[in-house]
Amino acid sequence: MKSASSYIWSVLFCFFSVVVFGQTANNSGEKAGQAISATYTVSGYLKDHNGYSSANVEVVLSNTSEEFKATSNYSGYYEISGVPSGSYIIELRKENHVEYGEVIINGEDVVQNFQIKNKGDYELSEVLLNVESVKSEIEKKGFAVNVIETEEAAVRNIQTNELLNRSVGVKIRQGGGLGSSVDYNLNGMSGNSIQIFIDGIPLSSYGSSFDLSSISPSMIERIDVYKGVVPAELAFDALGGAINVILRDDFRTQINASVSYGSFNTFQSNFNAVYQAENSGFFVKASGFYNHSDNDYEVWGRNVYNILPNGKYDYVKVKRFNDEYSSRGGILEAGFKKVNWADKFSVGYTASDSYNEIQHGAYMTIPYKGRFMEAEAGIVNLTYEKSDLFIKGLDFNFHGLYNERKRTINDTVTWTYNWSGELSRDRKGDPIPSQRGAQQGAPTIANIYRDIYSFRGGLTYSFNNNHKIGLHHVLYNISREQNDELWNGIRKNFIETRELEKNISSFSYESRWFNDKLKANVFGKYYQQKTRQMDPGVETIDGEEVRVEEYFSNNFDYTGYGMALSYLVNSGIAILGSAEKALRLPTDNEIFGDVGENVAENSGLEPEQSNNYNLGFKIGPYKIGEHSVSLYASGFLRDTRGMIVREPQMTLNDAQQTAPFVNLRGTESKGFDAELNYIFKDNLNLLVNLSKFNTRMSTKYDSNGKVLFNYNVQIPSEPFFTANASARYSFKNVFQKESLLNIYYNYAFVDSFYNVWVVNKRSGLENSMVPEQHIRDVGLSYVFPKKNLIVSFDANNIFNKQAYDNFAVQKPGRAFYLKLNYSINKF
Amino acid sequence: MKNRFTRLFGYTAVVGLLSLSTACSSDDDINSPDPEPNPTESRWITIAGAVMDETPGNGNGGTVLYSISKENAEDPNYAINVFDNGFQVRSQRTARLQSSVDGSTMFNIAYGGDNGGEFSKYIVNGGDNFEPTGGLVNISQYAGTSPRWVKLFDGDKTGVAVSVTSPMVNDGDTYEYTRGTATIVTIDMENVEISNNISFELPLPAEEEAAGHHIFRLDTPVLNAAGDKLIIGTWMGKTDPATGERDANAYERLGSKAVVVDYPSLENPKIITSTVGFGDTSGYRSFNSFLAEDGNIYQATQRDPGGSHILKINTDNEYDNSYDFSLDEALNVTGSYIQSWRYVKNGIAYVMYTHDDAAYTSFSDRTQQSFLARVDLNAKTAQKVDLPYEPDMYFFQYQGFVVDGDNVYVTVSPVGKDGNIYVINSVTGEVTKGAQLLNEPGNHFIGVF
Repeated sequence: MKSASSYIWSVLFCFFSVVVFGQTANNSGEKAGQAISATYTVSGYLKDHNGYSSANVEVVLSNTSEEFKATSNYSGYYEISGVPSGSYIIELRKENHVEYGEVIINGEDVVQNFQIKNKGDYELSEVLLNVESVKSEIEKKGFAVNVIETEEAAVRNIQTNELLNRSVGVKIRQGGGLGSSVDYNLNGMSGNSIQIFIDGIPLSSYGSSFDLSSISPSMIERIDVYKGVVPAELAFDALGGAINVILRDDFRTQINASVSYGSFNTFQSNFNAVYQAENSGFFVKASGFYNHSDNDYEVWGRNVYNILPNGKYDYVKVKRFNDEYSSRGGILEAGFKKVNWADKFSVGYTASDSYNEIQHGAYMTIPYKGRFMEAEAGIVNLTYEKSDLFIKGLDFNFHGLYNERKRTINDTVTWTYNWSGELSRDRKGDPIPSQRGAQQGAPTIANIYRDIYSFRGGLTYSFNNNHKIGLHHVLYNISREQNDELWNGIRKNFIETRELEKNISSFSYESRWFNDKLKANVFGKYYQQKTRQMDPGVETIDGEEVRVEEYFSNNFDYTGYGMALSYLVNSGIAILGSAEKALRLPTDNEIFGDVGENVAENSGLEPEQSNNYNLGFKIGPYKIGEHSVSLYASGFLRDTRGMIVREPQMTLNDAQQTAPFVNLRGTESKGFDAELNYIFKDNLNLLVNLSKFNTRMSTKYDSNGKVLFNYNVQIPSEPFFTANASARYSFKNVFQKESLLNIYYNYAFVDSFYNVWVVNKRSGLENSMVPEQHIRDVGLSYVFPKKNLIVSFDANNIFNKQAYDNFAVQKPGRAFYLKLNYSINKF
Repeated sequence: MKNRFTRLFGYTAVVGLLSLSTACSSDDDINSPDPEPNPTESRWITIAGAVMDETPGNGNGGTVLYSISKENAEDPNYAINVFDNGFQVRSQRTARLQSSVDGSTMFNIAYGGDNGGEFSKYIVNGGDNFEPTGGLVNISQYAGTSPRWVKLFDGDKTGVAVSVTSPMVNDGDTYEYTRGTATIVTIDMENVEISNNISFELPLPAEEEAAGHHIFRLDTPVLNAAGDKLIIGTWMGKTDPATGERDANAYERLGSKAVVVDYPSLENPKIITSTVGFGDTSGYRSFNSFLAEDGNIYQATQRDPGGSHILKINTDNEYDNSYDFSLDEALNVTGSYIQSWRYVKNGIAYVMYTHDDAAYTSFSDRTQQSFLARVDLNAKTAQKVDLPYEPDMYFFQYQGFVVDGDNVYVTVSPVGKDGNIYVINSVTGEVTKGAQLLNEPGNHFIGVF
């Protein structure tokens, strides 16, 4: 299997190189034409507050790596050409007055007119930016959403996950370094209730070997984080929220490569190449990634000890020794863009695999040696998008994929190891056999094979600018089989097969009223889930034992609905509210179990349900002189029932060593997020956010009708107060003219929390507390004058403080990374 | 108010009892390992409460301890709120508790969670004052993070934990056996360290193995009268040899089994089989076998098709199959199931049990009501103890009885409701209501120590 994947991989890489080099050769032949189509022009008219043309205004278009300048003429006209796609800050400067806006270039020329708000004659006064950036536009639709722009991260050593972690209301629980499993918490909801999408396609359909760390931030246009209420076009069962990663779609011919190396032998590389034919619309995109880390960072403290032969503790400070991670993959996509029969038509192939050693289970007290997970996936996909299909205003999109994947958990080492990576020995000096059988449980080489096909289609119709209806459907089918290579041959003759199919249809109506002051989006969703199980067994028929197959199936259907409203009090203040009756269907692992993880099957598992509410406001950005300020705050409530959790073992069930998932608790999360952004000129950018929430037990009564002691008590092992502050300062023309130097600082705070129920502060509880965490990172990036090379350096956790996940698992300490980012976009 | 009151009482008791309790805790009498506690002397009675996690009665949210004097424990006008005022033992799930015979020391092994398998020893100072002593010892490498252990009745010197790895079907293409590896570890509770350990495979007779039978779990070791053998209870499992999977069909159980090993070497494992009982002999969370004054060991069975039995293991360390005590017959019920029990003396024992016709509890549709019975092992009779029973009475997780002279102390409360300590005279059978136990909805009491 391994060799097959390597084969696929090498073929892909070869093809990929051919494409890229073929392209460059091709390009040099028609250099002049190519250069024009790769960049775009931004132009427009500038007027003053009285509506008169404004001449001699200096217009500067910039992002962290590039800057373009122009001056308006006597008609107030300005034009900047040669600008690549991307999002830019536009600065309008006339004498003492400065004003900012944002401009997005997305594969075509942009016309952007401005009316300068300098009321008093060039007096410095409060000015409001009235240019809606994509970020601002989405954030003001009414959903509780924050849009993360990745421009800065693209040139730095920031993981996409790290970027999300710093974002307001998002908390990432990662039990270790690169490659360790990630759990996203949005406003107190986590686990499978949060869905991750890439361009609207659920990440889960790509397989576990492809995750957010497989995508370089430089390939990402922006990330939309929807909390609690998820728009209908992401027609999937995302109960607690959705993270939609929007990839860059600027189809100009380019090559971009980045490589980074740093602490713990961490190597990350990305390669991305696009060829866009000038006239035919034909394009080819190829990208690849390879990530590796030894993750051998130091751990110490209360949970890190070697157990001596007599059972006493020997607290040690050691390096993790079974935590290596590698992943690699490639994506190849070819098709047509902007042709008369399609906005985009493409077919693609993605292959990826990963190797991930597992150092410990949920707690870090017992180290593992030799337990690892391997995953591989191959995906074929097809995309078709067309606006104004048949009639104007009717847009259609379709995305289909087929995915074959395999996941193996390998755990066959039957001895006990200590944190120094040595065999544990007893009083006689003999090695101690693992009483669990192997490292986590019984010895296993557990495979799960999954075949997945998924089709999504969407049809929207805009009556005019103010009314839009949409219809979306997703079909997601997964068939799987699991076995254990260590099973006896007899058991292997009785391998069960499982199939799960989800159908989710949604309808949405989006409208704008009162001069766009009121925006409303109402939607309904219809969910269906079918499961089918085949269990082989033995029956005695006519005195002979024969193999028989028994079939079971199970169907559910549910409805959900919601709405998002926003009201613009004035152009600077928007009030946002949204609500949804949301649903999450159980995943295949939750229903069918997982031998490698000791999860038993529960085919009767029902969906989780939640009523989610958000109410908030967004102010600004307001500008006072050279200072710009914006503020966002939002409160939320999540009332969740039938949460899917691992069954707590009680009495007789202890006989089974595995536990299924069950619909169990109800919780209520209440809290708020706030984010303040301050910008001084275009040099200093300060962002402070905080998120406080309580996830409380909402099961109120026991069977006698009495209020349970832990009703309305914070559930254990969940951080509930986090804050983040970051600052960026930019210097221009340092060392070299036309260069740009950025310095970054980030401070992250997580308040202390408990791993047990805390109803009152009785004695002994202090032993179950995860202490406060304060983590500080610094970094700098340098953009060379030609703008095609960026070097950045990051120092994370500079004071080497202990950082923990929810179960006091320690995360990496001080680490340094150096990254080079090289791009060619002018051929 | 109540808080201050109980604290005050606690402090008074500490001062008054300090000399007595320290005198009791010293092990000066080596020849008679468990000196009979003098019932005229005072002592601590430690109450253990189990906190629920997500479902009432599951006890998975941790364990809370609180100690009161014997006099207070006997006083029906005295009320204790363990959950408000107690000491939370460091254990993710229900702690596995043991105590010294005189109640002056508590021993705990944390069950599950990050410190699962951690043995700790506390000096009982009254109230929520449990003073750690002797340091920590972790047995998880030998017995796992959810260890099954009990102390031996050898003067509170030794604790023994046992475990079996997940039984695996043999390699190859034909079914031969399912086996796990057993481990026994002994803890020197005086010096707080591991004193011995051993691991071995546990083959059953070939015929039984071919049918799929195997030892799935070990639990509740007991030391024999000669002090040279440990007798360890078993929980049996069965594989379907036709498919290699756990046998989901109905099958005939083997006679109850126990594993006998030499003590203190822990060597020479031998399996003994009863022809009287057909259930498991593993108990649940506390003792399941007791050495009586007659030199025999009495062992209860669980999941016994004929209802729970109490089996006799004689001084030759073999089942005495001439002794047949059926709890079903003694109580005139069917499907009796011994959840926890305690031998007192003179053939008298107290047994917590449920049976087929018991009411279902209101908090779980899989759990039935528990009862308490006084059992005479010599006369082979049993009688339900007169207590204020309710369907939510649940003794499955019960761990602690205090035997003090003729008296037995138990906590009795339905899940989520207030209850009492009861003091039962094992000779006369007289039941006296003691201190009131204030409960919280969802929680329950798992014993006195």
